[in-house]
Amino acid sequence: MFPQFGATAETLSKASTMVFRIGTDAHLYDDPDDVSIAPLLDSKFDSEKCEALKRLLALIAQGFDVSNYFPQVVKNVASQSLEVKKLVYLYLLHYAEKRPNEALLSINCFQKDLGDPNPLVRAWALRTMAGIRLHVIAPLVLVAVGKCARDPSVYVRKCAASALPKVHDLRLEEHTLAIEEIVGMLLNDRSPAVVGAAAAAFASVCPYNLSLVGRNYRKLCEILPDVEEWGQIVLIGILLRYVIARHGLVKESIMFSLQCTESSHSAKDGSDVDFGLVKESTDLSGTCDSEFLNTISRCYMEGPDEYLSRSSYANRESFELNGAQFTSGKSNDDVKILLYSTSPLLWSNNNAVVLAAAGVHWVMAPKEDVKRIIKPLLYLLRSSNASKYVVLRNIQVFAKAMPSLFAPYFEDFFIFSSESYQIKALKLEILSYIATDSSISSIFKEFQDYIRDPDRRFAADTVAAIGLCVQRLPKMAHICVDGLLSLTRQEFVTKDFGFEDQEAGILTQVIMSIKSIIKQDPPSHEKVIIQLVRSLDSVKVPAARAMIIWMVGEYSSLGEIIPRMLTTVLKYLAWGFPSEAPETKLQILNTVCKVLEGATGDDLWTFKKIFSYLIELAECDLNYDLRDRARLLKKLPSCNLVSLGLEEGTNDIPGNDLLHIVAECILGRQTRKVKPKSFSYRYYLPGSLSQIVLHAAPGYEPLPKPCSLLLDDLNVAEGTSEMKRAADYSGTDDYGSSSDPSDEESASDYDSQRSVTESSGSDRGDDSEFTSEGNDNADPLIQISDIGNASENQNGVSQSSPANLGELMSNRALESWLDEQPGSLNPCLPKQSQVQISSAKISVGDVGKQVKQKSYSLLDPASGNGLKVDYSFSSEISSISRLLVCIEVFFKNCSSEIISEITLVDEESNRAFDSADKTAVVNESPLTSSDDVPTLVPMESIVSLEPGQTTRRILQVRFHHHLLPLKLALYCDGKKLPIKLRPDIGYFVKPLPMDVEVFIDKESHLPGMFEYARSCTFTDHIVELNKENGDSLLVKDKFLAICESLALKMLSNANLCLVSVDMPIAANLDDASGLRLRFSSEILSSSIPCLITIGVEGKCTDPLNLSIKVNCEETVFGLNLLNRIANFLVEPTLS
Amino acid sequence: MLQCIFLLSDSGEVMLEKQLTGHRVDRSICDWFWDHVISQGDSFKSQPVIASPTHYLFQVVREGITFLACTQVEMPPLMGIEFLCRVSDVLSDYLGGLNEDVIKDNFVIVYELLDEMIDNGFPLTTEANILREMIAPPNIVSKVLSVVTGNSSNVSDTLPGATGSCIPWRAAEPKYANNEVYVDLVEEMDAVINRDGALVKCEVYGEVQVNSHLSGLPDLTLSFANPSILDDVRFHPCVRFRPWESHQVLSFVPPDGEFKLMSYRIKKLKSTPLYVKPQLTSDAGKCRVNVLVGIRNDPGKTIDSITLEFQLPPCILSADLNSNHGTVNILGNKICSWTIGRIPKDKTPSLSGTLLLETELERLHVFPTFRVGFRIMGVALSGLQIDKLDLKTAPSRLYKGFRALTRAGEFEVRS
Repeated sequence: MFPQFGATAETLSKASTMVFRIGTDAHLYDDPDDVSIAPLLDSKFDSEKCEALKRLLALIAQGFDVSNYFPQVVKNVASQSLEVKKLVYLYLLHYAEKRPNEALLSINCFQKDLGDPNPLVRAWALRTMAGIRLHVIAPLVLVAVGKCARDPSVYVRKCAASALPKVHDLRLEEHTLAIEEIVGMLLNDRSPAVVGAAAAAFASVCPYNLSLVGRNYRKLCEILPDVEEWGQIVLIGILLRYVIARHGLVKESIMFSLQCTESSHSAKDGSDVDFGLVKESTDLSGTCDSEFLNTISRCYMEGPDEYLSRSSYANRESFELNGAQFTSGKSNDDVKILLYSTSPLLWSNNNAVVLAAAGVHWVMAPKEDVKRIIKPLLYLLRSSNASKYVVLRNIQVFAKAMPSLFAPYFEDFFIFSSESYQIKALKLEILSYIATDSSISSIFKEFQDYIRDPDRRFAADTVAAIGLCVQRLPKMAHICVDGLLSLTRQEFVTKDFGFEDQEAGILTQVIMSIKSIIKQDPPSHEKVIIQLVRSLDSVKVPAARAMIIWMVGEYSSLGEIIPRMLTTVLKYLAWGFPSEAPETKLQILNTVCKVLEGATGDDLWTFKKIFSYLIELAECDLNYDLRDRARLLKKLPSCNLVSLGLEEGTNDIPGNDLLHIVAECILGRQTRKVKPKSFSYRYYLPGSLSQIVLHAAPGYEPLPKPCSLLLDDLNVAEGTSEMKRAADYSGTDDYGSSSDPSDEESASDYDSQRSVTESSGSDRGDDSEFTSEGNDNADPLIQISDIGNASENQNGVSQSSPANLGELMSNRALESWLDEQPGSLNPCLPKQSQVQISSAKISVGDVGKQVKQKSYSLLDPASGNGLKVDYSFSSEISSISRLLVCIEVFFKNCSSEIISEITLVDEESNRAFDSADKTAVVNESPLTSSDDVPTLVPMESIVSLEPGQTTRRILQVRFHHHLLPLKLALYCDGKKLPIKLRPDIGYFVKPLPMDVEVFIDKESHLPGMFEYARSCTFTDHIVELNKENGDSLLVKDKFLAICESLALKMLSNANLCLVSVDMPIAANLDDASGLRLRFSSEILSSSIPCLITIGVEGKCTDPLNLSIKVNCEETVFGLNLLNRIANFLVEPTLS
Repeated sequence: MLQCIFLLSDSGEVMLEKQLTGHRVDRSICDWFWDHVISQGDSFKSQPVIASPTHYLFQVVREGITFLACTQVEMPPLMGIEFLCRVSDVLSDYLGGLNEDVIKDNFVIVYELLDEMIDNGFPLTTEANILREMIAPPNIVSKVLSVVTGNSSNVSDTLPGATGSCIPWRAAEPKYANNEVYVDLVEEMDAVINRDGALVKCEVYGEVQVNSHLSGLPDLTLSFANPSILDDVRFHPCVRFRPWESHQVLSFVPPDGEFKLMSYRIKKLKSTPLYVKPQLTSDAGKCRVNVLVGIRNDPGKTIDSITLEFQLPPCILSADLNSNHGTVNILGNKICSWTIGRIPKDKTPSLSGTLLLETELERLHVFPTFRVGFRIMGVALSGLQIDKLDLKTAPSRLYKGFRALTRAGEFEVRS
């Protein structure tokens, strides 16, 4: 109205803020690139670096891509200034995924910072390191997290907890157990702050591993009030799930209602056990909608999608809850303590905590105690509009299920004019649920005010709410109808203004409400119908008119007066027919037809005339719907009479019965009683996102199956129980499998079960003492020789296993650690050579011939139209470039027809730009040499393949050192089939022949940071030994068999060179401890040597404990190779 | 878990983007959002949870700034919303208000704050006192200093001690020469008066605001003279639950500085301090307005800052309104605001005039609601009284101060 006021106020405020902008970063935001940023980044002053980084941040904020500054920014990660660090971290996290190679450069700095005395620096380093999501550094991050989880500073431990989901998010199956172990440890932390973050980690990493919670359930409950607010929200949910999985639902809670309806059925058969209880609950259910509660609790238990889809084919019984799945809230301590510890949270300052606590009480608390959540919930309505909306959406369900709970508080749902439309609509709906005979009068008084509100949409909703209220409380019907009728007479409704869309909506709503009220008890509202019919002249809104006309047809035989009015009314309608809206026209036709059906005597003739007149008009109407309707109605029996005159013979037509039925269906007098479906039937757990958006959001889980967590599970070693848990879930309810989509994707050959031993392996390493004596049972194959102090080395290996964090310690830390155990890592120290243990060298010469390359399937005949493609990694070395890995591919035609034109193409190469970009990245990276090598060297295509024929091709692929599957496209017969080639890090190396002395010398140059170890078990030899026992061979061959099977396994899974096999000379007959195999290789791309040592320990006939050690300059590669080796060694060979 | 937070200006410009997890959210989602805001108007803006084709969005609008957070997975929606509210509270506390310019001018601080407040999509440090220690708020001194010296570090070098303690809201061991505690009762009165002039509902939402400057680790207890009138309460995390449950006594170790100790609600009050009597009579395309405002129950202290506001119905073409006291303004969006101030002794303030209706309209059929504002210093209208405040570990001297204030909350009079 007066825009100039607003404008001046705005300019004034702008002017005043200009004054305050001095000294802020305003200029940086406004013109971030008005100076050249690059030189500032290289400046030696922190303040200039800061300015440059702030400019970059401003550009990020404004949506520009400034990732090209990445290399320069990364350099600054080493800065001592915390502000520079912070800004670099902000930048790094934003772009790390885009520039993985450069991001790797910062790892060393993070590792250094992790040893910093300032906890803030440690925490930041950890957060950032975990935040740059690179698969290759995941093992390093995990070790860092493990270390920080034991940090003295609470803040660092908290950050460690929140870093776990980041690592888990990379979906590295082999680390799952290690992550879960850390989660368990942090959940047990004594600081509440850490427990909160650990709960969040638990919820996103391993929500099914409830046995982790079981171990310290009591402690978690007690600590709950002290946990910081955000952690509380998550922890409450976890504890609820645990209690249900462990003890089942509570008998006295609302969730029992589904049980009680079922048992009341059985009560009729006289076979019920606790009849008293059922009676009691039915008494209570007088105040609540038990059928609705049943729906809700089922939805909570199994997710509405499941429940609804099943109920549609009428098989509700498959989800049975028996009495054993219920526990008593009064006697079960775990339930009691949960309710006890969550009840003070209802007073929390944080809305989300209150709602979460209320959710627990809603599900678990005995019915009579549920009311304690009401006041806190209502208090939430005083918060911000956004929170208010979410809370109301939850109250909406609660109130519908148990209106009695909210009925006394109806005043809290009275509406303020300042509220948003959504909130008003929700409040109206809730009011219509909770209205009682005592409160209805004040509620109606309020509604009268609402109808006069300037927001007409809201007014229309109010009218609808009145209708709903009356349906619940029929006593009010007459008063309401009178009120509604007076509305129809009001001037504003009946006048036809241009802008009256919303008024039309109100009128339609008024008639609709009246209609629904009349439907409940038509005879008593006869006068209302008459009044409505009288008002037809003034009601102009088509939808409203149509409804009144419908009522004329529907109640045409009702009472005394209406039948007498009919002729006049129909004449009036017929007269005005041409000027009506299509909607009304259709309804007039229907109504006349209906009247005709029931008409008798004198009126019949008049009605018929009217009808045929209308049909004629309608058949020439512009609207084709109307023309169709007219033709259809004409064919109906009662109308037939009209067009054919009064021939009685028509009744003999055989199809006539059918026509009668059709007529009944179309014009059915008895409208079936349809329950009002104003409300969706989908219910999700209170407080969940899904409940707001009314569909299961990804990651939504219904409550766990009651009592699915057995006591045994808690006692079993955690690793296996976790597996069982997962299996249980996927077995019992179907979403288990979908919850982990990565399962199918991430390769059959990486099974997480194998890493079970990883965590516990560290303890075993220390026991490797060579106590056995004598037994010089020398074999011709075994040559006795001195090979350094092998056993010392063995100790070194086991002590630097992951749990000890040896490889991650910064240099300083490493040195101090070395001081504690002088020289144990370095076998070349002269001191050490005094303690020498003789060992023998075994030669297993012919192993090489036995090596069978493992073959993987690339394409199975079913999906490849009969073409079967297998591949195995070849030990050949590419002659084109050292970046390429050779793969042997076998094409076999399994079909009966010739397949022609087979060729393999890199899918990426289509996107030329993309791949160019990728090579550009590689070029800048110092780690790889700079040559332009394609991802896939073009394969010589196969012209044709006869049925049954097999052809072999050598494929040269460049994996870019990624461990992710490479997407290729296979063309055959002109068709394109997408396939995935899974890289094997074992073939990213090539054999590097050397003798033992060279090996030991090289190994001694790669200590500390470059040495990583892991342990695992090995079982292959057992099969082998059993076989040989049968042949009654000599016992001494056991060693040979072990060495052979071990070497075979290594060589057939990785491209290595066997350097030596050592055996302790003082070996016991069937103690394989001390056996050591050495392999050497070099990385294909960079020619960096990579040395592998495997130490054996344990009895010959038992599973052996292996400790694997890798020495390699390239940390990340080495770690990945180590993991790969450990994985395939554990995996039993399929024979 | 939240994946990304956007800050949008009131013109839909993305001022800031903070990615929280590795699953990046493209800022094109903001375009989608703003397109819908434009096409659906305010009803979309008041929707706190939105399911977009790719993400679920949580939105909180404060002072024209839209805080938008995205997630793709199930999470408690209130957690997202509450967190955004907390962010906006902290930001407006840091920047002294919220508007487009102030956020752009201090974007580095906003980034640093966001980075401390949330990690990997889960809230990390949200306690204002700790944040203040980690990242210094901008103030005049630091601004001037940065202009003069060019050094502008506002990031603290050390971890605040409170992050580690089991009372995370309190900085470790502050020292004060004077030990002071100020307790304020700040109440807001919500009332609805219907067309007939009847009081439909009247309740008070109050807060106990404490400003504490105490050395060491003080343990305070606060008790009320009449706790039974409290209908429902909510507490700062520092309040111990059990003493309240058993004796209705607040026992707590206070944070340092200002904080909200508790909030409460008292329902079913019987009267309001003011009366407002609107009369609207319409006839022949004109509507006569007459509004009277006066004191109904004298609270014993002066009622000041009295204002009256109402939205003119859309069917009104023009308005001619005058008052015998105070000033009447009609703002651009058809909001009429009448600033009264204090009620004079000699006369009853009244607003009168005529509204001209749209041409076809004879009479007015929708009626505005009048929103009333007032403030009364020195009185808690609910009648809640503080009994005593004790310090367990009594230092040598302790100065205690009490104040009360009542103002109008949602005070509505329908016509």
